[in-house]
Amino acid sequence: MPFIDTFLVPFALAIISSMLIDNVVLSRFYGICPFLGVSKKPQSALGMGVAVVFVIVLASAICWPIYQLLALPEVNLPYMDTVVYILVIASLVQLVGIFIKKYSPSLYKSLGIYLPLITTNCAVLGVVQSNTDQGLNFAMSMANAVGTSVGFLFVIFVFSCIRVRLESSDTPKAFKGVAIALVTAAIMALAFIGLTGMAG
Amino acid sequence: MAFLWAIIILAGLGFIFGIVLSICAVIFAVKEDERIGEVAKLLPNYNCGSCGYAGCAQMAEAVVKGQEKKLSKCKPGKPDANFNKIIEYLDKHPNEDGTKIKVEI
Repeated sequence: MPFIDTFLVPFALAIISSMLIDNVVLSRFYGICPFLGVSKKPQSALGMGVAVVFVIVLASAICWPIYQLLALPEVNLPYMDTVVYILVIASLVQLVGIFIKKYSPSLYKSLGIYLPLITTNCAVLGVVQSNTDQGLNFAMSMANAVGTSVGFLFVIFVFSCIRVRLESSDTPKAFKGVAIALVTAAIMALAFIGLTGMAG
Repeated sequence: MAFLWAIIILAGLGFIFGIVLSICAVIFAVKEDERIGEVAKLLPNYNCGSCGYAGCAQMAEAVVKGQEKKLSKCKPGKPDANFNKIIEYLDKHPNEDGTKIKVEI
């Protein structure tokens, strides 16, 4: 089956590798701010993760054709990419903010200032930028976007569940709060190194 | 000519996104006490979180809803620049039933 070999397998591999092996938070160290800021409760961590998935996937889908336009020989402005990406991402975040405020005021409240801060979440710009820098085609950049953002959602949710248990456990006084959270994040990053080489 | 393209593309994208956003803002508008926005404007707007709320907008909401009485929880705020103005504003804009929101520094 040529379709499976040339398309489906690389597509699935790209999703898995950007989700688990090259995890955006734990091995590329993007998006640490919401990772630490919104991970106190699983509920809001899930909301943050879903919002980031939405923004990353949509931003990649919009930015890829725009980059092709910028790279046309007649236009020849590939250096404008970052400026345009920031414009697209900022507008998308505004849109997500409007939606969440309307349909889930409690989530809007628990995300607080971190919702507009998705604009400056380097994971979003990082994914979009690396898609076009590597010259990926549209399907591959969507695979990269989905994999990376679902990886973010997965890790922030797991981390928030760990933090809930940490809250009720007997931590030494000096480590309480953010300190133990950072140690936990480091151990999680070490655990994710164990997945290296899984996708061959 | 390249710079002209740059201007056209950026201005065009900005225009399109602006229109889409403003349409969405009207369709999905949420009715909100307008005093919350005014009080938020009078806060320092550093969004530092040292008051215990997620940001200045959340602190302003708590103040207007009467859940927060002490303005000095806002650490970067100054009495003359922020707190007294908020007290004055809330004094001039009572609740619908006529009662006033009482806050102190």
